[in-house]
Amino acid sequence: MNKLLATLKKEALVVLHDKVGLLLMYVMPIALVFIITLVNDSSFRMVSGNEISVLVVNDDNGDRGDSLIRLLEKSGSFKLTVTKCLSSKAIQQSLLKDNRLLAIQIPKNFTLQLTRKASGVTDLMLNEFGVKDSVVIQPKNEPQSLVVFYDPVLQENYRFSINNSIYAYLGSLENSMIMQNLYAEMGYDNVPEEIRIKLSSERVMIEEVAASSSGKSPIPNATQHNVPAWSVFAMFFMVVSLGGNIVKERLNGTFVRLRTIPSSFSLVLYSKMLVYLVVALSQLLTIGLIGMFVFPLIDLPKLNLPENLIATLVVALLSGMTAVSYAVLVGVFSKTQEQANGFGAISIIIFAAIGGIWVPSFAMPEYLQSFGQVSPLHWCLSGFYVLFLQNGAWSELQSTVLFLGSFIVGCQLLVYLKLKAQRHW
Amino acid sequence: MLPVISIDQLSIQFKGSENKSLDSLSFEVFKGEKFGIFGPNGAGKTTLISILCGLLVPDSGSVNYSVNKPSETFKQVLNEIGYVPQEYAFYSELSPVQNLNYFGALYGIPAIERKQRIAELLEILGLQTVADKKINTFSGGMKRRVNLAIGIINRPKILFLDEPTVGVDVQSKMAIMQYLEELNKLGTTIIYTSHHLKEAEEFCERILLMDHGKMIALDHLKTLLLEHETVNLESFFIKLTGSEYRD
Repeated sequence: MNKLLATLKKEALVVLHDKVGLLLMYVMPIALVFIITLVNDSSFRMVSGNEISVLVVNDDNGDRGDSLIRLLEKSGSFKLTVTKCLSSKAIQQSLLKDNRLLAIQIPKNFTLQLTRKASGVTDLMLNEFGVKDSVVIQPKNEPQSLVVFYDPVLQENYRFSINNSIYAYLGSLENSMIMQNLYAEMGYDNVPEEIRIKLSSERVMIEEVAASSSGKSPIPNATQHNVPAWSVFAMFFMVVSLGGNIVKERLNGTFVRLRTIPSSFSLVLYSKMLVYLVVALSQLLTIGLIGMFVFPLIDLPKLNLPENLIATLVVALLSGMTAVSYAVLVGVFSKTQEQANGFGAISIIIFAAIGGIWVPSFAMPEYLQSFGQVSPLHWCLSGFYVLFLQNGAWSELQSTVLFLGSFIVGCQLLVYLKLKAQRHW
Repeated sequence: MLPVISIDQLSIQFKGSENKSLDSLSFEVFKGEKFGIFGPNGAGKTTLISILCGLLVPDSGSVNYSVNKPSETFKQVLNEIGYVPQEYAFYSELSPVQNLNYFGALYGIPAIERKQRIAELLEILGLQTVADKKINTFSGGMKRRVNLAIGIINRPKILFLDEPTVGVDVQSKMAIMQYLEELNKLGTTIIYTSHHLKEAEEFCERILLMDHGKMIALDHLKTLLLEHETVNLESFFIKLTGSEYRD
């Protein structure tokens, strides 16, 4: 027992004295969580809040261009600067110079096109109802598009959602014109106020529900995604510190001395693992506490803890053990510290990439998703997401527990065989 | 005198090597003697010490220890052995006290006795003023003394020393050698290798000269010098192993 305590104390002291290692294990992931969450949150706000700065060049000869601008303004999603008569080149230059993400050019015959389309549809409808005998054939004009210019930095998914918003407003304009035409044909000056109100109210609302087996789940946000993801990354990045520490000990005289002492290297190894498991859990706790108490202070969403705290603890323990086992494996199989640091760091970055830490797995090509299944980070993250995003139950953690458990056993077995072959066990 | 270590027909050949690193080596080390192992680079000294300290397993032959009773294995005498390797074998980010405490605990020395022993060693080796400072700030001589202190924390009955004074100043060297003499007087058998032949000549009673994994001379130094008509260990060494480079 004394030997174990002495070894644990020594390992803890070595970790505490390793300033670079501590920096890598605590400061770097905390900085990453802050930066990535801020970036994700601001991106989210850019799309959902009134943040997108848009230049509107209204060349429309009629009044529908103004109507579209009013609708865009009313949506609260765009900050508009309206101007007239700018060439395509001038618009692009203005976009890049004024740091705007989008510009919309409303063509000259915008109103005319809408009016013709609305009249055409109205005529067809009245004809179908038997109210009107003849259909006026509208002259075909060369259709002019509404042109959306964008800064190349704007991601495709944002452009896609913005285009969808504009299509929705265009549809709304067309519908209102068709309605007006119908009433005009029936002898009314305007669409009756009561109908106009009815049309704009009592809409079928969209309610967003995050899937959860328990029926209760925290609202997914940048914090709920990033705190678990980067905590897992931080845990695994200990491969640089622990892997390097094991190689250093094996290569310097202490390892030789330890082998001439009535004590086994397994004691040293298990003590290291225990100390680094505490480090891993403390990383998770630190980042979690920051998510809960510091993020709200800087206007970031607060981290909400899952309801099943015991399952969270189990997933945290398994993730920590997985990270520690992998680091030990790298340390035992590396011949130099440079090998351990280089291979360890790069392998973790690859595991993180294919494991969905940076980009969600579902957004990857199928073959990469298959590769991701071998990433321990993927399974750790999947376990945390079940808890932090879906408020999931034990049953949903089965595959996570199975994979992580097998990974730990596999790593430990390989370490044992390697040390046994080298007569170090 | 009683032999504490009996080596019989010890041989080992490393994979990929054309020659044996140790070739049918047999000799005995007696209780309480200061035994020197010498030879040019590649002679097999480190391999021999590694086998004696349980770090390597020979292909054939045997090593028997008789520290507490006859014919003990290395595992049975682990607690009675001290090893001071040539490289620094400590945690340089920790202090001498922290290192000594750790290695002392691994030997199973009780906390109170350990504290006493650490204080004693720090005083003898002149490390009291830096007892709680990180070793990575120490000079070469201080590091050597820490290396030695850790090797003898368990009051070993057999002490293996591999170049214990390499790269240290005269004062540190003197302190180390004086303490080794004291340890020997208290009954510790010392097995020593060094390239400092002058130092070895003054310290060792009996020497083993090796080359190409084989024993080429074994006796008391005075006898060997007389036998080979040489005046000191250096001339004896050159006479038996030649003067060409051994890189």
